[in-house]
Amino acid sequence: MSSILQIVIGGLLQGGVFAIAALGFSLVFKVTNVVNLSQGAFCVLGAMGMYYFQVVFGWSILPAAIAAVFCATAFSLLVGAFTFVPAVSRLPGSSALVLTAGLLTFFIGITLVVWGNQPYALPPFSGEAPLVVGSLRIPSQGIWLAATLAVIILGLWLLLQKTTLGRALRACAENPAAARLMGIDLSAMMLLSFGLAAMIGSIGGIMVAPIMSLQFDSGQFFTISGFIAVAIGGMGSFVGSIVGGILLGVAEQFAAYYVSSLFANSLALLLLLAVLVLRPAGLFPSGPPRRSDVRDEGRVHRSLVRLPACRTLMFGVTLVGVLAVIPSLTMPNGLIESLVISLILFIAVLGLDVLMGYAGQVSLGHAGFMAVGGYCAAILATSYGWPPILAVIVALILSVLCALLLALATGRLRGHYLALATLTFGLLIDSLAVGLVDLTGGPSGLVGVPAFKIAGFSFDTPVRMYYLALALATVLVLALEGGMRRGFGRALKAVRSDQLAAAALGVNIGRTKIVALCIAAALASLSGSLYAFSFHFLSPEMVETTRSFELIAMLVLGGEGTLIGGFFGSLALTMLPTMVQDLAVFKTAVEGGLLVVIFLFMPEGLFGRLVIWLNRIPLNGATTAYARAR
Amino acid sequence: MIAPALECCSVSKIFGGVRAVDDVSLAAPAGSVSALIGPNGAGKTTLFNVATNLYAPSSGEVRFFGKQAAGLSAHHIAALGVIRTFQTARVFPGMTTLENVMAGAHLHLRAPVISQMLWTRGARQEERQLIEKADALLDMTGLLHCRDAAATNLPIGSQKLIEVVRALMANPTLLLLDEPAAGLNDHETAELAVFLRAVCDAGTSIIVVEHNMSLVMGVADLVFVLDAGRLIASGAPELIQRDERVIEAYLGRTGGQTR
Repeated sequence: MSSILQIVIGGLLQGGVFAIAALGFSLVFKVTNVVNLSQGAFCVLGAMGMYYFQVVFGWSILPAAIAAVFCATAFSLLVGAFTFVPAVSRLPGSSALVLTAGLLTFFIGITLVVWGNQPYALPPFSGEAPLVVGSLRIPSQGIWLAATLAVIILGLWLLLQKTTLGRALRACAENPAAARLMGIDLSAMMLLSFGLAAMIGSIGGIMVAPIMSLQFDSGQFFTISGFIAVAIGGMGSFVGSIVGGILLGVAEQFAAYYVSSLFANSLALLLLLAVLVLRPAGLFPSGPPRRSDVRDEGRVHRSLVRLPACRTLMFGVTLVGVLAVIPSLTMPNGLIESLVISLILFIAVLGLDVLMGYAGQVSLGHAGFMAVGGYCAAILATSYGWPPILAVIVALILSVLCALLLALATGRLRGHYLALATLTFGLLIDSLAVGLVDLTGGPSGLVGVPAFKIAGFSFDTPVRMYYLALALATVLVLALEGGMRRGFGRALKAVRSDQLAAAALGVNIGRTKIVALCIAAALASLSGSLYAFSFHFLSPEMVETTRSFELIAMLVLGGEGTLIGGFFGSLALTMLPTMVQDLAVFKTAVEGGLLVVIFLFMPEGLFGRLVIWLNRIPLNGATTAYARAR
Repeated sequence: MIAPALECCSVSKIFGGVRAVDDVSLAAPAGSVSALIGPNGAGKTTLFNVATNLYAPSSGEVRFFGKQAAGLSAHHIAALGVIRTFQTARVFPGMTTLENVMAGAHLHLRAPVISQMLWTRGARQEERQLIEKADALLDMTGLLHCRDAAATNLPIGSQKLIEVVRALMANPTLLLLDEPAAGLNDHETAELAVFLRAVCDAGTSIIVVEHNMSLVMGVADLVFVLDAGRLIASGAPELIQRDERVIEAYLGRTGGQTR
């Protein structure tokens, strides 16, 4: 009995942290209708500030905490003012969601640069001795945490219900257009909610740092846990956030105690999937959803940058030609390996482009499909000695089945649900890859994956692998281009920009999205398999959620909705860190920063830029020759 | 007897305490142009939205050519041959005018996704035929010169016209147009009236919701007048113009001037 109570106390402690993160999510979502994935990073920023003021500068607790919260909030406000607020007012919802994933990566990268990659812990506020009640031991920091949570809730309630400012915030949530007409400064309100969420998050981080050791990527943990909590509780509902957080914390503690700490995460994710399936709006749905028949004009804008047919042909032939002769040139060591990785990741990005760039659906767990493909093919080829080609095909079918299940389980994938479901799926696969040690080799990875073989020909050198990946990528780009320029592509783009109008023309929205998801899953699976065969090794961290975010960054950097653009994104993000080894520590921050900046200031991406330049080159002779040939 | 293109039987739609559509029964005959008019807030668009199942009716039923529409989702209604446009121009952003129009042919695509991806002869041929058909329609509506421009960059009037053309690409048997003349000048409105007449003569039944009286009087065979959610009159345009109740409810409120 007392052990159960002890677990409950542990769960409440952990749940309190999740609830604080979830509150931040709800607050920003209420005002902006965007899920701010950088929420978890605020906790780490707060804790990092506390570490410097308290431990390094030796300040006492209260001034150190105030200074840390102030610095973290000020920094977040600065970043938010120039990124989040313009993004919410200018970009469609799905892009704003991805932009916050970029912000999260950016904050994680900054923490990595400042803190390095070792864990940090702060001294508890009132000593190490726990509070002992009967046979129960309550960590003293837990009391602090509970008290803080209560103060935050009370403060938020007073602010929202009792002040003019709170009414303005709620008005923005209810009807942004009307709020603006009433003279409410929408941008200021968005920034305020962002800053408040940052403040709440950094306070939470400071409270929890003494009981959990934090490191640079803990922000992702807080974001994911808070996100799960808020999804269980109901997006935009404060009560839901708190209940969801505590439920999640208690469930994880019980799972860790009775099953295995390796599976605690998997069970939490199954809990989330169950809620998503049974009560998609969460346990405490907050009000009716916004009208979906009214489109937010101005937020749906895509630049139309295209190469004419003749130039496309010339560009494609030149690109493939250059790529084909590269291996025969003399190059620094490791360059060909990096090119192989770029091409393999490009295959996954291609699928993501169909899903995100064309169909406008966000997948935040795309590396999950890479993991299914990679592990399934690698295990079949390594442990069971299957021919690699057969293993890859079976893995591909398995991934598509996973995608179908995911799509069916979460209903027709409206709004944020696909993003949410894919994120959960990616995390679930990740935790299974870590947990199923006998099958996957656990955290240390699966070793001894053989080389890829087709009919006795072994792709065992980087150059051979390079040509295989290049040929596959070329064929896939051609095939997808065939679909995208015809009816299928038009249906996807119609779904992306206006589902109501698309349905009125007879497009089956649900089925179109599912087909796009299946194509994306199949290509990610193929990419994951090739990845394992190319490295002869596969570990969970090669296909974890960070990888999902990286794939999105590659796509956005290269240019969404262009197919080939992803190649330039993948090339840039793979080659830069290998070429400049000394700057490797900045990789994460640069990736996140690039994602955000490109989204805001160069939505056409690298390839779009290239197209604009190429279109300026006069080509009169060739164009007429091409027209005549037709 | 041919079943009416659209038949509403005691359709009501209640939002909270507001009866947006109140016990409306009407039958728009097949093969003709019918117009649905009424002052702002009369429930015209709501009736459209209920008919196409954007909202479920609170009571009553809707039939297209004698077929029950209840419970059908939007794309099933489109598959019946009933294609609608929207009050605000809803062209697809990020697509050219031509692509927008071609998207309308979605229901009639025969080449499956896989043969599109393999660039088969059939898929390429179908695409060429679609382009020819779209070009012909764009030419007829005077939009051919902006065929390769981003559709969202065009003036609202042209965008509304693109929507009509896009709907026609679906070969509808019944075309539901929600204020197609909004944003057009008098000359363009007259041209639209001629165009709609031609479309109707080619075998497509049309129902327009419209504020623009010159379009309604020029093209409609039959006019239904809604006021405050109720059907108050129906008949030929000349009769409607002289109907006391209509003048009182509709024209009287705007100071006796026709719009």
